[in-house]
Amino acid sequence: MSLTALIADDEAPLRAQLRARLNEAWPELRVVAEAANGAEAVALAAEHQPDIVFLDIRMPGMGGIDAARQLYDRCHIVFATAYDQYALDAFEQGAIDYLLKPVTPARLQTTCERLQKRLAGNAAAPQDIGAQLAELGALLKSGGAAKPNYLRWIQAQVGGSLRMVSTREILFFQAEDKYTSVQTASTQLLIRKTLKELTDELDPDEFWRIHRSTLVRVDAILEVTRDMRGRQMVRLRDHPDLLEVSRNHGYLFQQM
Amino acid sequence: MAAASINRALDFVREAVNEASVLWWRFFDWLALVEWRQLYVTWFLVVVFGVIVDLVNPAIWFILISFGVKVLAGGKRRAELKAKEASDKASVATLERRLMEAQMATLQAQVEPHFLFNTLALIGQLIETDPKEAARVHAHLIEYLRSSLPQMRAGGGGGTLGKQVELSRAYLAIMQARMKERLAVRFDVPDFLGSAPFPPMMLQTLIENAIKHGLEPKVAGGTITVRSQVVGATLHVDVCDDGVGIDLHADEGVGLANIRERLALLYGKDAELVIEMPPGGGACASIRLPYRMTEFD
Repeated sequence: MSLTALIADDEAPLRAQLRARLNEAWPELRVVAEAANGAEAVALAAEHQPDIVFLDIRMPGMGGIDAARQLYDRCHIVFATAYDQYALDAFEQGAIDYLLKPVTPARLQTTCERLQKRLAGNAAAPQDIGAQLAELGALLKSGGAAKPNYLRWIQAQVGGSLRMVSTREILFFQAEDKYTSVQTASTQLLIRKTLKELTDELDPDEFWRIHRSTLVRVDAILEVTRDMRGRQMVRLRDHPDLLEVSRNHGYLFQQM
Repeated sequence: MAAASINRALDFVREAVNEASVLWWRFFDWLALVEWRQLYVTWFLVVVFGVIVDLVNPAIWFILISFGVKVLAGGKRRAELKAKEASDKASVATLERRLMEAQMATLQAQVEPHFLFNTLALIGQLIETDPKEAARVHAHLIEYLRSSLPQMRAGGGGGTLGKQVELSRAYLAIMQARMKERLAVRFDVPDFLGSAPFPPMMLQTLIENAIKHGLEPKVAGGTITVRSQVVGATLHVDVCDDGVGIDLHADEGVGLANIRERLALLYGKDAELVIEMPPGGGACASIRLPYRMTEFD
């Protein structure tokens, strides 16, 4: 019985290359299918039951890590990646096989030998790499740092189109009658989201509620002064408006 | 309602006080800076005027007060104003430094390693299977690197829209060789706009974003449209894709922030970066800045 393999990579030329290299390094291995994304790889693997699956990490739709999590108990996984510092670190520490693109014949030879040993020695049950994969998936998604899912873009209807305003561009939000106004250095837009909703969805380290009707971006604050009536007023870096700080929120600036 | 009218009165008083204090300090500054000779002439005129309208007392008071202020506080105020002028100069220097830093950041963030490794892998593969295509991609890569690597950019100019479009074509040609039928490209840039000044690496960043966040995650791929037009006195350069659109919870990234920062430093409020999600899906990024036909220098 000859061994079979599946190759998944979104770039066709690279699939062809790996197939050609595999043919040289391990002629007995039969490549039974090629997939262009993770979902396709999972479907084709179910159909063809390959012994080995070569997975590119970054693919459209479902990526390689997610595909691997559905496949690792049925076949041996080898990842292929061009440059993913987080993944490489994880691979070095863990027991997951990987190839660096462009794939060199020597490196592929080593990987093939290791796979052959594993398959022959029937160290068969591929080890449980599930936990490791889950960790890796989370790591890659967040770009290295785990940060909760805060709102980073505000959508505002302007004429017929939907304006996207990055939160980094926003100086402050202010509650108007039926709307909330969004102030940037250059424009003011109106949105339907209430200040309450915004306060809940935005990063609390990025935006501070300083008043019942005002939410201000911390980085945009230049200084806090007191006016003649003793109220705290926030002065902004790129905007002439002074924003009042209500008494309940005065504690925000106690230390400043 | 009583409270409201009191508030209104308070507001009025506050404004009046503000206005008076502004006037007083303007007078103060004038006194501090004015030459004695000019002050004598003013006193003379004030006395003449005072005699004519029979208000000699206020005229004398004015002379006494202005003399006192000039002698006692003039020097200090003059020093303050000098200091302010110096700090204005310093803040211009700060602006220049921020621009430099923003430009440095752009230069350093130029070539993404992921892109470079993938392209080299592609060329390696093509050498074996399709040497002609390999040579073509290789030439595009060289063209792209020539204009985007910091060391090589120094003498290259590259500050026109034409140059930026050329660079983007090279980049997109490489991406097309990699993504094949998943990437279609449309350029809609009139030739006459080629000479218009345009900051380097902005168009490039928008296109990279469109591919990375819009089309690469989309299984079927899509089209990137680069469009340029003059609207009134403003040059619009748009990059649109029909990809997956913008993830509301994804940070805008250093690329867009850097463009915004550089636009603000170069053009102040006259330029902007507008991001939109068109009704048909995908995303559109538009750089808008004052249109000039050629570089002045």
